[in-house]
Amino acid sequence: MKYSYIRARDKSALTQEMKLLLTFFSITLFMLFSTYLFLVFKEYRFSQERAEIIQERYDLNITLDDMEREITFIEKETFLSERVYTQNSVLKESITNLFDLIPSRITLSQADLLENGLILYGITPNKDVYNFMLQAPLRSIFHKTYSSFYPADNGWLRFVSTNYIESNKLEIPVDEESEDEN
Amino acid sequence: MKIKISRPNIYLLSLSTLLLIIVLVFSFAVLIPNGKDYREQRAELRKENKELRKYQNFSDETLEFLQKLKADNRHIITAFDTAFNPDRFEKTHQAYFSSLSISKKVRLENEGEFSVYEVNTTSEINSPKTFYDFLDAVNKSDWIIGINFPIHFKRDGELIKSTFTMRVYSTQKEDLNSTK
Repeated sequence: MKYSYIRARDKSALTQEMKLLLTFFSITLFMLFSTYLFLVFKEYRFSQERAEIIQERYDLNITLDDMEREITFIEKETFLSERVYTQNSVLKESITNLFDLIPSRITLSQADLLENGLILYGITPNKDVYNFMLQAPLRSIFHKTYSSFYPADNGWLRFVSTNYIESNKLEIPVDEESEDEN
Repeated sequence: MKIKISRPNIYLLSLSTLLLIIVLVFSFAVLIPNGKDYREQRAELRKENKELRKYQNFSDETLEFLQKLKADNRHIITAFDTAFNPDRFEKTHQAYFSSLSISKKVRLENEGEFSVYEVNTTSEINSPKTFYDFLDAVNKSDWIIGINFPIHFKRDGELIKSTFTMRVYSTQKEDLNSTK
């Protein structure tokens, strides 16, 4: 550095101390602004994430509703099918029991299974065989039992046995009642 | 006593004070409230994430249950979804009968969400045993079929002529004209 008595040296406001001070505050302000920007960015990300969560929950809700509807429908299908299968099994048991009920001495020619009744057509050697071996068990099952007999060619008796489980809907016409009501 | 402060020092002091005020104002007015908001939002987001995970777990459990239900009832679901085909039914169950014929399907009133069709069946069987076997087979068939009353059995020589109605339950909405 040159010194002169004639020319004054240039003086600057930016002294060494001032530079140090400015550097210190610049770093401080930079850190504060960085923190502020970080917080602003994070808040923006949070709001984005929240929107994603809301959307995801909405989608999940729709999926859950669909699945629950499907589960309910499958349960309905299962329930209905079980009911149908049980009905078929009960029907099978009923028919098995019916044919087991027929004694070997009586021959059936026709059997009509109704919802609440049974009509049997057949041939029996005599009334006693019919009464003891077929009608007795039928009377224990059905509420109303009517029997008609007609002579067959071979000396046996043809019979029509009409049996009903009591129901208000069913009305048996008096004309068709048997000549030999039991 | 007079304190003499040089001009550069006055500048230095003023600038320091000014910058310190800026830092303090910025910190207390902006940074600290923002930091507080950030912490609150972070805690809230964690809570929401936790709830979402619970929801996802519940959804996964429901899906697992649905898949198990579907796997367990595969036959029933397929049977409901299969449209009744009289020709295929005859072909499948022909073995139980000496002869088998099925009438045209009649659409009945729906049972809930299910379509119900009725078909009349006329057949000839050798013995009641084959009819029992048929009833067992119906429960394993490709459709949901219920055998309904009235059922008529009539002796016809060595055979038994039988007529009965069957109710077919389906999820299909069929065009009846396109079937037998």
